Amino acid sequence: MPSSTESAGVEQLLSVRHVARAFGRNRVLIDASLFIGPGEVVGITGENGSGKSTLLNIIVGRLRPDSGTVTASGRIGYCPQEMLVFDTLTVRENFRFFAAAYEVADWPARMDALLGRLNFGRYVDTPVSHLSGGTRQKLNLAVAWLHEPDILVLDEPYSGFDWETYLHFWDITAEHRRLNRAVLVVSHFVHERTRFDALYRVAAGRLEPESVR
Amino acid sequence: MKPPDSRFGTALTLTARELLRNRVAVLMLFIIPTLFYTIVALTTRTAKVPFKLASVAGSPLAQVSERSSSLIFIGTAAVGLLAAFLGLSLVQKNIEANRRLVLCGYRPAELIGARLVVLLVVVAVVGTFVAELLPLFFTPERFVLVMAGFALAGFVYGCYGLLVGAIFRRELEGILFISLLANIDAGWLQNPVYYAGAQNQVIIRLLPAYYPSQMSIIAAFTRYGVGRAVTGSLVYGSAFLALALAVYFLRMRIRRPRPNPMTPV
Repeated sequence: MPSSTESAGVEQLLSVRHVARAFGRNRVLIDASLFIGPGEVVGITGENGSGKSTLLNIIVGRLRPDSGTVTASGRIGYCPQEMLVFDTLTVRENFRFFAAAYEVADWPARMDALLGRLNFGRYVDTPVSHLSGGTRQKLNLAVAWLHEPDILVLDEPYSGFDWETYLHFWDITAEHRRLNRAVLVVSHFVHERTRFDALYRVAAGRLEPESVR
Repeated sequence: MKPPDSRFGTALTLTARELLRNRVAVLMLFIIPTLFYTIVALTTRTAKVPFKLASVAGSPLAQVSERSSSLIFIGTAAVGLLAAFLGLSLVQKNIEANRRLVLCGYRPAELIGARLVVLLVVVAVVGTFVAELLPLFFTPERFVLVMAGFALAGFVYGCYGLLVGAIFRRELEGILFISLLANIDAGWLQNPVYYAGAQNQVIIRLLPAYYPSQMSIIAAFTRYGVGRAVTGSLVYGSAFLALALAVYFLRMRIRRPRPNPMTPV
């Protein structure tokens, strides 16, 4: 099983080294390091306000660290905790917008596949403002998957999912892993530890390894 | 293999669709100026009043009906005000979703460029509509230039709206900042009758609606040249636009992870 630790000669898809970030006097991250290799599914947990989302925002480029570095091999897909999609556009138009961003030409086929996997194809021409919270969350997640990224970074991805969608989510994650891609999931609770290759808890501004058993 | 959709073209199409789906707002773009005109027509006299043409050399006096001058003034104010709120909405709405698009590969210039094009098209349409209503009340001396003056008011205040939208994260602050300037400037001080008797005309000349208002007034009632008014409007609008772009780019700034030197991407 992959180790999620830095070691000489091991290829890393994502490397976070000694990242620190403060907001005023509040030092949210003091020295956070994380390494994710191909085919790894890594989880980060922690209490509310512990710095999980700050770390994620630094990894994807939404925030600048005060010190430390983030390096990545390959394309990142990012699903934020907030619903960052376009309410007045339909599901299809949202896919179109993100496909243009990723420069994905065959997006209709990929969209159809994702709509089928996450079971919300019947809403393809429905404006997002008319969707339930759970379906919006599916869209929020699906557009992060659209360009088949090498590293998928997910912030509280399954809040609002029903059980069936939750299982579909892990099916897609498992497929991602088989294709030697990496997945980083941040969640304030993890109730199926064995689904992860490595788990970390953000505490006192650092990442502490946790058992996956 | 089919090439990917153009990012700018997609942003333009979808931004326009977002706006058009807000049907009440689109309708209000036409109802508000019509209502303003109706109120002016019902409340003003047709008696002639004198006022100075401030931007013309020597500031000659003009004698025109109070109703006609008020219609030009309110038309300019309506287009400016509507453009400012539209600019605010275009930038502020979904700004975090737009930032997500930037993380996914969009350039901020493509997103703001699409919004600017939509804004300019709407300003041109509303400016034309507001000018087209004028012949119901009186015949302007140079109709096309009056229309251009309205459109320039929309350009100046639309760019001001973009700037306010780029600066403020919350809608209320944006609305208040627009109301503050637009009400005092376009909605009050640029009234040619008020301007003629004002104690401190320098302040009025420095405000954003001054040049577009002057252009509409000069074109509506005289044959004097409007070159200075056009230049002043374009300079003012472009300055707002440049500031809006600078703030927008700062807001959209991201710091992508560096490529791993060990592994080819």
